[in-house]
Order: sequence, then structure tokens, then C-alpha cells
Amino acid sequence: MPTYERGGRPAGQSAHAGKAHGRVDLMSGYTTAGRGPGRRLFLGAGAAVALAGFVAAGSTPARAASVNLLETGSSLLYPLFNLWVPAYTKANPGVRITTQSTGSGTGISESISGVAQIGASDAYLSDALMKQHAGMLNIPLAISSQMINYNVPGLNATNLKFSGPVLAGIYSGKITKWNDPAIAAINPGVKLPDHAIVTVHRTDGSGDTFIFSQYLAFSTPAWQNSVGYGTTVSWPAAAGAIGANGNPGMVNAIKNTPYSIAYIGVSFKQAIADNKLGTALLENKDGKFVPLTIENVKAAAAAMTAKTPKDERISLVYAPGPSSYPIINYEYAIVKAQQPNAAVAAELRKFFTWAISPQGGNAQHFMDAVSFVALPASAAKLSTAQIDTIK
Amino acid sequence: MSFRRVLAVFAGILPASLVAVIVFLAVYSWPAVRFNGVGFVTSSTWNLGNTYGSPILRDGVQVLPGAHYGILFLVAGTLLSTLLALVIAVPVGVGAAIFLAEAVPGQLRLWLSFLVELLAAVPSVVFGLWGYAVLIPLLGHTIFPIMQRLLGFVPFLGGPTGSGYGLLTAGIVLSLMIVPLIAATLRDAILAEPMVVRESAAALGATKFETVWKVVLPGVRKILIGVTILATGRALGETMAVLMVSGNALNYLPPNIYSPISTMAAFIVSQLDSALQDPTGLAVRSLAEVALMLSVISVGVNTLARLVLYRAGLKDARV
Repeated sequence: MPTYERGGRPAGQSAHAGKAHGRVDLMSGYTTAGRGPGRRLFLGAGAAVALAGFVAAGSTPARAASVNLLETGSSLLYPLFNLWVPAYTKANPGVRITTQSTGSGTGISESISGVAQIGASDAYLSDALMKQHAGMLNIPLAISSQMINYNVPGLNATNLKFSGPVLAGIYSGKITKWNDPAIAAINPGVKLPDHAIVTVHRTDGSGDTFIFSQYLAFSTPAWQNSVGYGTTVSWPAAAGAIGANGNPGMVNAIKNTPYSIAYIGVSFKQAIADNKLGTALLENKDGKFVPLTIENVKAAAAAMTAKTPKDERISLVYAPGPSSYPIINYEYAIVKAQQPNAAVAAELRKFFTWAISPQGGNAQHFMDAVSFVALPASAAKLSTAQIDTIK
Repeated sequence: MSFRRVLAVFAGILPASLVAVIVFLAVYSWPAVRFNGVGFVTSSTWNLGNTYGSPILRDGVQVLPGAHYGILFLVAGTLLSTLLALVIAVPVGVGAAIFLAEAVPGQLRLWLSFLVELLAAVPSVVFGLWGYAVLIPLLGHTIFPIMQRLLGFVPFLGGPTGSGYGLLTAGIVLSLMIVPLIAATLRDAILAEPMVVRESAAALGATKFETVWKVVLPGVRKILIGVTILATGRALGETMAVLMVSGNALNYLPPNIYSPISTMAAFIVSQLDSALQDPTGLAVRSLAEVALMLSVISVGVNTLARLVLYRAGLKDARV
């Protein structure tokens, strides 16, 4: 194999590194092609492949036996993964984890297809998808929550109150102005502007859409019967409604659009504060308007974790209790139980075990950084049982 | 195999792949075509149904409860944004072509023409990013409100100006992409017009403006039509830039020129992941139906453009 030598690296080592990077097929593809009748034609391509292998090997020179894991999905979980990965890989140099913020929809579809080993999602898989793809795991890694944010000039410092039915009215285009009687009734004493409301929703398949539409569906029968919930819903026609991509796109859209409203994952709390946008108080199941605080999220989680089934597919939205914040959820890693090889499975088990441990990824400083709440012990136990089934 | 045959095989792959793509789309989307019927192009509701419900059997097809696929709002968004792009790009492109061919002296002409052609080489996503970062705040905060105040009495130009994401923004970004195509092609055609014609016009006492307007331009009319259709084809299929500036409206027709829209091409990109979560697969097949419609329209438009250009004698038209 002359081209390997041209790369200045013994063939064995290069092939070994190639295997670790999943390029072994490309390599063998080259060697057979090189022997075939079209040898001269393929020589250039072979050299390119060998060069690619060399570059890949060169990027991780000290750890040729490393495992590559790809995480993709939820833009709400992305900031946490970006804190986790450097901390984890520093202590575990044998693994390389790439993170992508693509939306929960992509997280789900790419973990099912096997493109990504870890699909990050704020939503669990539906019954029908579970039946279709047996062996998919929905492993909660932490508890997150969602803000309702708005950009109403002059009122962004005021925490406006919203209820599920009022938000459903706004998002279905029935409540069109900020000074609508329905909004005024729950915000006494606030001078609301006579201006059209611009609703912003996610364009990509999104776990934020999932939990927001669940809040509307669980609190408003009319929404449940018409739109329902899902990672994508058929948004009713509300004049001027904007679709935005990912949580960063949502923040940008309301920042640039006065009189707009949006639902945004809590890990973007800092971005909301930096841009001086408003955050709403939400009406919970007990009829109380509550702010998004760690205590209120914990109260809601406490009301729901006992009900969590073994496969942990459960909505935590609209929990009972006077101080429960209504939009919280498990942040899931969607993972195939059956991995292509034992090395990948072992690294996944190790990483997830670290991630849900209070000494590891669920440590307070990680949770505080993104305003998440650590998994309650009972949920962590169920997650551990699921992690152990990754083979 | 002889060298000639190998080349024939390679050459044959190209037309075969075009046919294969269309045939694949048609076959793949066939269950959706049957399920959606005519309502696909006459209704404006794209609804995957209850993705967390159990699939039910409807018209002999497994579907999610409540599923309905209608793309009138996409067809409208696609056609309107393309139309706006042409309305802006054709006059600008013609003006630029005349300027480059007739009004600029030699060395400078070379440089300016080079710049115009460079504009055509800028990847569309760059235009999209520029539109997103620069154009949207500018239009949404300043220009649209002014337009609405001055021209609000004109139908389609009044009403709420929204956020800057939308139909007119998409039209402007698209027009930037097709102006170089129109300008460069037309400039070549104008330069190729025989000098005799101009000299005759001058001899009859025509001014330079009259020569261009009444003699040169009519001579390149067919090429202008052809390149305009070609530009239409490009605008119809443009994806990324539109995705970034259109506002991705769902389920409603734009009430005015400032309103968010969505186009067929951009919709396929933005909805594929969501569609993959439909366990019945009908959502992806319906997206394939959108793709099929878009391909048929684009291939049709391109064919028409090439026919016009061919008959006008410009056989190696730029794409």
C-alpha cells in the first residue's frame, strides 16, 4: 500500500486509527479498488482517502484507540452538553464527544437512524415510534423548564401574567392585541399597549414546542381538541406569526420584533436577561401565577417523579401543587440499547452514569449554569437501570 | 469496453439521473398523492396530526389522527417571492447590462463586469446571512414602517409591517441572486449586437439613448425573456437564503407584502426532521410530493427558458 507510506506513517497504525474513526470501510474499499482493473483510475481517489485517514489520525495523535460519540438535538440541552463535554473528556481522554444544536426533532431522528449515538431531546418518543423502533431508550439526564418571553416596549421589566387558555388564545389567533380584555383581566393595573401581538414558534422539530403545546393542551380543552401537542404542531393561522430556528433563533426573533411573544428553554435565561426581554408568570394547575424559580421547578418535579414509569416516558407539564411551575420536563438522551460495538456501548454507559451522578454531570454548578434542576434520586435510579441495558 | 463506450455510459448517467429522481419522487410520494388529492394545492393547512396518537386507517392509508396536508400557502409564498424578485431584478439587471455595455469605457467595463459576475459566485447562504443580520433589522424597523405610511393606501402595501422577516425581504434577497445572471447574460448579448445597427441608428440622427432603447434592446428581447425565465427557475428553487429571511410562516396566506411567508424549497428543509417523527411515513411522502411539484415546475421553467434562448440564437446560455 504505497499511499500509506506516502503519508509517512506505518500502514498498521494508520489503519488502526482509521478503525477508531469508523473509516475502516473506506480503507478496505481502497485496497480492493487498487488491485482491480481500473487501478490507475482509482489511484488518485485512493491517495485522497489515505490522506483523509492520515489527517483524521493526526488530529488525535496521542490516543489512537479513542471512541467518537456524536451528540445532536435539543438546543435547550446543548448549553449543558457544552459544559459537560470539556469537563468529562478532560478526565476521560479515551473518548471524543462532538455536540450539535439541531433541535429535538433531529436528535430523535438521527439517534433512531444511528447517525448520532446520543440524541438530545426535550421530548420522549411516541408509543407508535417506540413500537416501530424497539430498543430505543429515553434516558432523563436532568430536569429543565421553559420560559414564556416577550418584547413589549415599556413592559419588559414587568412580569406579565399568562394562563394556558390565554396563551392558547394568542397562539390560535383569537387574541390579537396586547390590550385584549383576556390579558388585561389577569394583569390588573398594567397599562397594556394597543398593539398587535406577533407570535413566534419553532420551525424545526422541537422539544420546546412539545412541552409548550402540552401546557396549552392540558390547560385548554379547545387546544387539545384542535391542535394537540407534539414536537411539531400545525400552528393555527395567527396573522404575522413567525417561525424561528432553535432557541437562539427564538431569542433573536423576539429581540428584533417589538410586541412579540415566544416560548424559550430556561438555559437561555441569561440571553433573555442580557437583551432585557420580559419573562412571564404562568398560571399552574392550582390556579396560581408562579414565576420560574428553582424552588417552583423542584416543587413541580416532586409532584411528578413518583409517577414516572420504568421507561421514563412521562410528561411533567402542568403538575399539581400551589407552587408548581407548570412547564417543566425531563431532558432526554435518546439512545439505541443495541450499539454497533461493545467499545461504544461501554463509553456511552460510562458517560451517562457520570452525567446523572450528583458528583458528575448533575453537580450543582453545572445545573446552576443552565438553570436546570438535578434528577431526583428516584428518577436517577430508573435512569441507571436504563443505562445498564445499553449493550 | 472501449473508451468511447465508457464515456457514453458516463454521459448517459446525467439524463438518467434526472429521470430517476423524478420517477423516484413520483413513486415514493404516490401514497401521499392519493391520500391528499386535489386538496393538497387548494388548502392552506399542513398538519402532521397527533404525532403522539396511534395511527388510524383512513382511505386505505395508515395516517396519524387529524393529519391533513395542504400547501397552498407554500405555492403562494413561492410564486409571490419569485414574482417580487423578478419585478426588482429585471429593471436593475437591464439597467446594469446597458450601463456595462454602452456607458463604461474599456478598462473600467472589464472590472465592473468582473464584479457583477463575482456577485453570481457568492453562495446563496451568504446572501441569506446578510439578509438576516443586516436587511431584516433595517427593513423591519425603518423602511417597512415608512413604506406603509407613504404607500399604505395601495392594496397589499398597507397593514401591519411585522418584523422584517417576510415576503418583500425574501424577494429582495432573491433579486440580489438573480440580478448578476440577468445583467451578465444581457451585457454579452448587447455587446454581440452588430456595430452596423448602431451606426445606422446614429446615421439616422438617433441619440445614444434612442439607439440603445429603440434599436439595441429590441434586438435582444428574446434573450431578455429567456434569461428572465431562467432566473425564475433559480428563484423558485432557492432554499437556504429564503429559509433565513422568510419568517417561515405556516398555514396562512400573506395578507400583505411585509407578511412572513414560506416557500416550497425552504419548507422541505425545515420540516424534514419533524416529518420523520410520523411513524406512518405519510408526512415524509407528502414532503416528497412538495419536492415533486417543485421539480416539475423548475424543470418546466428551465426547459422553457432554454427553448427561448436557443431560438434567440444564444446557445450557450449561462445557468
